[in-house]
Amino acid sequence: MNSHPSNHRRAVVGGAVLLAAFLFAVPAIAHHGWGGYAQKTSEISGTVESPVSMAGPHATMRVKVENQVWDVVLAPPTRAQQAGLKDGMIAVGEKVTVHGNRHSDPKKFEMKTSRLTWNGKVFNVYPDRD
Amino acid sequence: MRELAVWLQASPLGTLMRDAGPWTYAFVNLAHIFGIAALFGAILILDLRLIGAWRRTPLAAIAAVASPVAACGLALAATTGAGLLATRATEYVGNPFLYVKLPVIAVGVANAILLRRSGAWRALGSRDLSLGERRQLAWMGGTSLVCWLTAIAAGRLIAYW
Repeated sequence: MNSHPSNHRRAVVGGAVLLAAFLFAVPAIAHHGWGGYAQKTSEISGTVESPVSMAGPHATMRVKVENQVWDVVLAPPTRAQQAGLKDGMIAVGEKVTVHGNRHSDPKKFEMKTSRLTWNGKVFNVYPDRD
Repeated sequence: MRELAVWLQASPLGTLMRDAGPWTYAFVNLAHIFGIAALFGAILILDLRLIGAWRRTPLAAIAAVASPVAACGLALAATTGAGLLATRATEYVGNPFLYVKLPVIAVGVANAILLRRSGAWRALGSRDLSLGERRQLAWMGGTSLVCWLTAIAAGRLIAYW
C-alpha cells in the first residue's frame, strides 16, 4: 500500500494549492452590495409599474420614468419590512421617488435603493446610507 | 432554458417560496448552506483519502461514514436549491455561473455513482486493492473534489452577476 507515500503527499498538497489558487483567482465582480453600482447616488421619480415584491433575496419593485421602466432593487425582504414596506404595497400608477445608486452599466436601468419616498412617507431601507 | 425557468417559477414550489413570508428565502438559504457544509465536509475527507492522504486509516472506514453524510447533505442542498432558484428563476436565465454550476453537479453526481459501482469500491474492506484500482479511485476522488469546489464557487458567484 505505501509504495510512494511522499509522491502522494506532494500530489495532495499540490492539488490543494491549485484549488485554492482557483478559488482566489475568481474576479471580484459584484451585484450584491454596492460594488456593481455607481459610486454617486442619484434620484429618479416616476410611477409605479409593479408594486413592492418581497420575494427572493431582495425586495424589488418597478418604476416607470418617462418611457423607461427601472428595476428598483430594495433591501433583503426582512430589512425592507423593518423599513415599513409590505408585499404588494404601493399601487400601480402611484408617484414615487427612488434614491440610491444606479447600475454602473448605463444600459441597465437598475437602481440599488437606499430610500424610497411615496406620498410624503420615506422608507429608509438603508438608513446608514446617503 | 427560459421555458424551464418560467415553468419552475410558476410551479407550486416557486409560489410557496414567494408567498411564505419575508424570512422564507433567508431560512431556505441557510438550510442550503447546511446541506453544502454536510456534503462538502464529508466528501472532502473521502476525496482526500481517495487521492492518497491518511493512508493508515482504512478507506472502508472513511467511506462508510462519509458517504451517507455526503448523500444527506446533497439531498438537502438540492431540494433547498430548487426552492431558491424557483423564487425568481427567470432572473437567472443567462447567468453564466448557473450554467457552470448545474453541469458540474451532474458530473459530480455521475462520478459518485460510477465510483460506487466500481469493482475497487465494492472490494473495499474485503481485499487489498491493486495499484490500478488505487489510481482509479484517486482520479475519481480528484474529479469529485474539482466538481464540488467548482459547484460551490459558481453557486456563490451566481449572486454577483
